[in-house]
Amino acid sequence: MNLLLLAPEILLTSLGLLLVLLGLLVKNKNVIGYISAAGLFAALILLIGIKGQDTFFYEALSVDPLSQIFKIIFVVVSLLAVIASISYFKDNRNQDEYHFLILFATVGMMVVASANDLVALFVGFELASMATYVLAGFEKKNPASLEAALKYFLVGSVSSALMLFGLSLVYGLAGSTNIPVILEVFQADPLMATSSLGVVAMVFLIAGFGFKMALVPFHMWAPDTYEGAPSVVSAMLAAGSKKMGFVAAFKVLVLALVALRMDLQVAFAVLAVITMTYGNIVAISQTSIKRMLAYSSIAQAGYIALAFVVATQLSIAGGILLALGHALMKGGAFIAVALVGYMVLSDNKNARNTDHIDNFAGLAQRAPITAFSLAVFFLALAGIPPSAGFIGKFVLFYSITIEAVSQVSGWLLLIVVIAILNSALSIYYYARVIRYMYVLPANGVKIHEPAPYVIAIVLAVIGTILIGVYPEPFVRMALDAASVLGV
Amino acid sequence: MFGDYAALIVLLPVIAFVLTLFFGNKLPSGGAHLPIAAIAGSFIISLGTFFEIYPNGSVQQSMQWFSTLNFGILIDPLAVVMLMMVSFVSLLIHIYAVGYMAHDPAKPRYFAETSLFTAAMLAVVLSDNILQFFMAWEIVGLCSYLLIGFWYHKPTAAAAAKKAFLVTRVGDVLFLAGIVLLYVNMTNVITNTGFSLEPGNFILQFKSMFAAIPYIAPTQLTIITLLFFGGAVGKSGQFPLHGWLPDAMEGPTTVSALIHAATMVTAGVYLVARTFPMFVEAPNALLVVAYIGGFTAIFAATMGLVMNDIKRVLAYSTVSQLGYMMLALGTAGMVLGAKAVGISMFHLLSHAFFKALLFLCAGSVIHAVGTNDLREMGGLFGKMKITATTMFIAALALAGFGIPGLHIGTAGFFSKDAIIEGAYEYGYVTGDMIPYVFSILAALLTSIYIFRLWFMAFSGKPRQDRHAHESPPVMTVPLMILAVFALFFGFSQTGFYGYLETNFVLMGVEIGVHEGEAFHPSALILWLPIIVGVLGLVISYLIYNRRIVDMSRIVTRRNPLYQLLLNRYYEPGLSSYVIGEKLTHGTAAMTGEFVDRRIIDGFVIDTVISRTLLSLGDVLKKIQTGVVRNYISVMLLGVGLLIILLRIGGT
Repeated sequence: MNLLLLAPEILLTSLGLLLVLLGLLVKNKNVIGYISAAGLFAALILLIGIKGQDTFFYEALSVDPLSQIFKIIFVVVSLLAVIASISYFKDNRNQDEYHFLILFATVGMMVVASANDLVALFVGFELASMATYVLAGFEKKNPASLEAALKYFLVGSVSSALMLFGLSLVYGLAGSTNIPVILEVFQADPLMATSSLGVVAMVFLIAGFGFKMALVPFHMWAPDTYEGAPSVVSAMLAAGSKKMGFVAAFKVLVLALVALRMDLQVAFAVLAVITMTYGNIVAISQTSIKRMLAYSSIAQAGYIALAFVVATQLSIAGGILLALGHALMKGGAFIAVALVGYMVLSDNKNARNTDHIDNFAGLAQRAPITAFSLAVFFLALAGIPPSAGFIGKFVLFYSITIEAVSQVSGWLLLIVVIAILNSALSIYYYARVIRYMYVLPANGVKIHEPAPYVIAIVLAVIGTILIGVYPEPFVRMALDAASVLGV
Repeated sequence: MFGDYAALIVLLPVIAFVLTLFFGNKLPSGGAHLPIAAIAGSFIISLGTFFEIYPNGSVQQSMQWFSTLNFGILIDPLAVVMLMMVSFVSLLIHIYAVGYMAHDPAKPRYFAETSLFTAAMLAVVLSDNILQFFMAWEIVGLCSYLLIGFWYHKPTAAAAAKKAFLVTRVGDVLFLAGIVLLYVNMTNVITNTGFSLEPGNFILQFKSMFAAIPYIAPTQLTIITLLFFGGAVGKSGQFPLHGWLPDAMEGPTTVSALIHAATMVTAGVYLVARTFPMFVEAPNALLVVAYIGGFTAIFAATMGLVMNDIKRVLAYSTVSQLGYMMLALGTAGMVLGAKAVGISMFHLLSHAFFKALLFLCAGSVIHAVGTNDLREMGGLFGKMKITATTMFIAALALAGFGIPGLHIGTAGFFSKDAIIEGAYEYGYVTGDMIPYVFSILAALLTSIYIFRLWFMAFSGKPRQDRHAHESPPVMTVPLMILAVFALFFGFSQTGFYGYLETNFVLMGVEIGVHEGEAFHPSALILWLPIIVGVLGLVISYLIYNRRIVDMSRIVTRRNPLYQLLLNRYYEPGLSSYVIGEKLTHGTAAMTGEFVDRRIIDGFVIDTVISRTLLSLGDVLKKIQTGVVRNYISVMLLGVGLLIILLRIGGT
């Protein structure tokens, strides 16, 4: 048991506790954001630097390529959000609690990524959820933020209950909560696949994870919450916490596929197609950019869910790549929207609906770096090369096409076609915002873009383009991660 | 040591581009110093690399990009001389531009774009695979478009930029098709024959391409090389895609000097030189190269005779000289093998120096008198001594003045005469004298038009009352440096040929030389180029300085030959009006009107997609009631749906 491999989690946990303590002692709480960012950066270095594979605590946690790539996603997203928060929550007197919550949410997500045991998985899930419930309502004087938090919490509780029920049914069938052991038990007894109990358990799990992944019809909280929550928290929710649902689903559902040989193809195909189509269509008619991003995020979840349809190593790798890319693009986009909010509020202190599309008119003149970055994120989300969004979609669609050809399956091919048409459709609403930013005249003067925002946004842009231009190492990482699942 | 940092040759100007673009207006002189420093850095690294790898080394770095493709750097003799030339000329022109663009409000944009251009051009040169070459080539084209249209508020400039972009695109499409065909052939060769890539090599690297030549079917090879040449024809302004280059003179003169004289337009020649082992194995393609080059050389020179815009004369001269380089690759390639690359590249380099000098001198004149029209100039010699002298040196170099027996002469003398001799030797061996005749006639015309330009601008009496003055030192010093090169670069000829001959041997490619009896051209052949050169000078002197012939009697609307030349063989009308407007635009507009507007836009987009989707979006939006009760009901509904789906899918 090499505890060094858990150093990032240990570091973040102790740092979180330290920050609460520090909050009582220091006068100027702005310093806390910097410490938090430094801690996350150190954790990222540790994650990339320390190599190895091991299991911990009676095999409750496991460190492997799959867990590491998702941990990198979580830490990167939190890092971006925290850097931007230095500006967003400047002079807020509850900053210590904010950063404590962010760090603990990150640790929770990392535990899920590492979970090798259903109980550990659930505990991590709840840790991250509880922290993010509070974060969504962090602007407690803003009714929209409170509403967002409450809805998120209520829907989240129900889905937690469903998930827990599903997990307990799995335990009841297998007699163990350890995932590899469950795998063995299921494989030993082929009758499991046809048992109704198994089906019900899987459905409850899909529902539970689907809530975090924001798959239709478990998505309804997402637009309200992303819109109402502080933009930096929305970045964290859409870019980070959503991926927690995916990693959990990868771990548990793929297991069901492999061991129970349960045919999830149709179910996931229907879910994925409905999700992406619904997300894209509703996104078209949004005037709030945060809502639009929420629906686009739902659509992206639909693409990623395609990975489950064929569940080959390549398709899972594609899903992971798209998740990685989406974390950067969506995280960056929400932070850019936060900057626009800052801009609008500095024009007029009492402005409401700061993310209305009219506020983006002429952004290229008012905040050129933000406008350019936002354009990059949008084009990347639409899947235009060379970007992370393109690589993810390419690998994913390619993997399904291969499978369609080898299975001689017309409807798999149809799904690829639908997905590509969806991508094309999404260009409409992204391009509309780009038009607002670059073509329409500005209704204000050029502003000074605060450095923390700019750093976070530019980092996300660099990441987005780097993956697009030089995908090889990332593809390899994703393939390694997918191989852990043994598909 | 320098070779390890070869990537910086490209990265430094890229960094300068980003910084200048975003922060240029906050820096002194529009951020000009950043690109200058960056390009100076590139030049120093290129120079250092040269001394490191001379006489027979090379720098090769490569990393996997994805699957069988890579990014890489290849600095062999061919690349290193290009690198030094491009970075050096670009450096001088950037310095000159500080003065030339001093009064332009959009300086940051200018310097950012030229910096990006330099980066892309250097990336073209040091690519180690054809795909990366193509990508950099496209960025070069983009920069050319942006810079031709730099003064985009001028309609002629905007139109010229568009024309350049579209015409070169024709070539680029051919080039890309060539790459695709090559890739297909390479994969076929690997799966079907005994050929396999060496470990660590990638499929589109030049060395892999050359290694695979014997396995590729000759007809395929001919098609691939012809498609590559198509790209070169577009980029290097060869007939019939030459029309964009004279129009490109709408950009700032510095841009014309840098992009449309010294560097970008030579990328086409460089492409043929780079892939020369493939051309050698496809003699038919080589013949096409020779004829297109030779014809372009004389064809463009005829138009150079009558142009009144000082920059257009130089533009046609560039087209004509690029024709010479192609001619050298084609003719000498067939009889002298790998030496042809040396001959062509030597002319490319010496041309870069004296043509950049000519353009910068023209820029200096334009800066002083405020017009491009030769008819409004005259008598400037007294007022602009440095410009006039350096331009005369450049004209001598272009016309190829020198003394054959003694090996004394200007850069152009050494480089151009070698080409003409190569063409003669080709004619001597094969009996096909047409390329030689093209080249010698073009030499005569070259001499006439360039001295016509000089006499019209600098001699006689001023035809307009203008307050002309010599340019500031920041502009004249680069002129003098380039003049030194135009005068003395030629003496490196022997060493240069020897150095470049090792180029393809380094990559393990043997290019056979047609061994015959030792070839000794007669004295007349050796002296003929210089005789026609002097003849041209005398003709121009008599007509444009002494005025023994009244040109106004010849230069009239009634002279059909003059009309033909002045109207550029009606090429603009043909390409813009017939091909562009009627054929392409007309057909496209018609199909567009019917298919796109009526069917796609009108029916599919408007009725089906737009209305349905928008109203669907509105309906679906209503599901989002905002009431948590409903949300949870929908969730549970989903659970039920899933159970049904799983039962259907599972059984």
